[in-house]
Amino acid sequence: MTNKIHTYQAVFLLDNEEVRKGFNQAKDWVQTCLEKHNVDVKVLRLWGERALAYPIGSRQRATYLLGWVEASGEAVNEAKREMYLVGPAFRIMFLRADEIPAEEMEFGIEAIDDSAVDIPEEIEEFEIVEEDVAEEAAESKTEENTDEQAGKKAADSSDESEAVAAGEENKEN
Amino acid sequence: MSSKKDRTFDFKNVEELQTFITPLGKIMPAKRTGLSGREQRRLKTAVKMARQLALLSYGVQ
Repeated sequence: MTNKIHTYQAVFLLDNEEVRKGFNQAKDWVQTCLEKHNVDVKVLRLWGERALAYPIGSRQRATYLLGWVEASGEAVNEAKREMYLVGPAFRIMFLRADEIPAEEMEFGIEAIDDSAVDIPEEIEEFEIVEEDVAEEAAESKTEENTDEQAGKKAADSSDESEAVAAGEENKEN
Repeated sequence: MSSKKDRTFDFKNVEELQTFITPLGKIMPAKRTGLSGREQRRLKTAVKMARQLALLSYGVQ
């Protein structure tokens, strides 16, 4: 593999659990990991926090980090390999580009306040469904019990009325 | 505005890509998109990259 330097656009999907601990911490980890493998980071900025089009593992949402880097293909592959093994990024994509757009260069390596990253609580649908099912089951059980009790009462009352009627008949005789 | 011949697609521009996707999540054929062969190939690449980044779904479940 040649060591020719190319420009790449990079997108990192960060785990929201890690970003909640601190966005800058997660971003710094990505940056140091890239620089460790001789990847020259030109731009690294928050692109947004959004819902995933399909769940990845147990994740329904993720924080997107956008970057522009200059590196050799080998360096990019090594950095990617490490990031898939450890760290907050769970999906990474590098895309060859001709040059870094001027409007992107303005961002540089952006540092924002951790409180500026608003991450909503992840809705765990499966748990809600299980809870709903459990509630429904409990409700149906109580209904069944009340029906059974009502049935027993009705049976008892009919027995009693039959017994009373039989007693009256005996008295008449 | 760029001419139709130079049309490129950015995988981050999800709203634009969604106009070329059927409700079932498939890429529309060139016959329906009206794009040239080269543009259709660019569209295909952009949609596939957006899918990989979970910006677009692979299909309806």
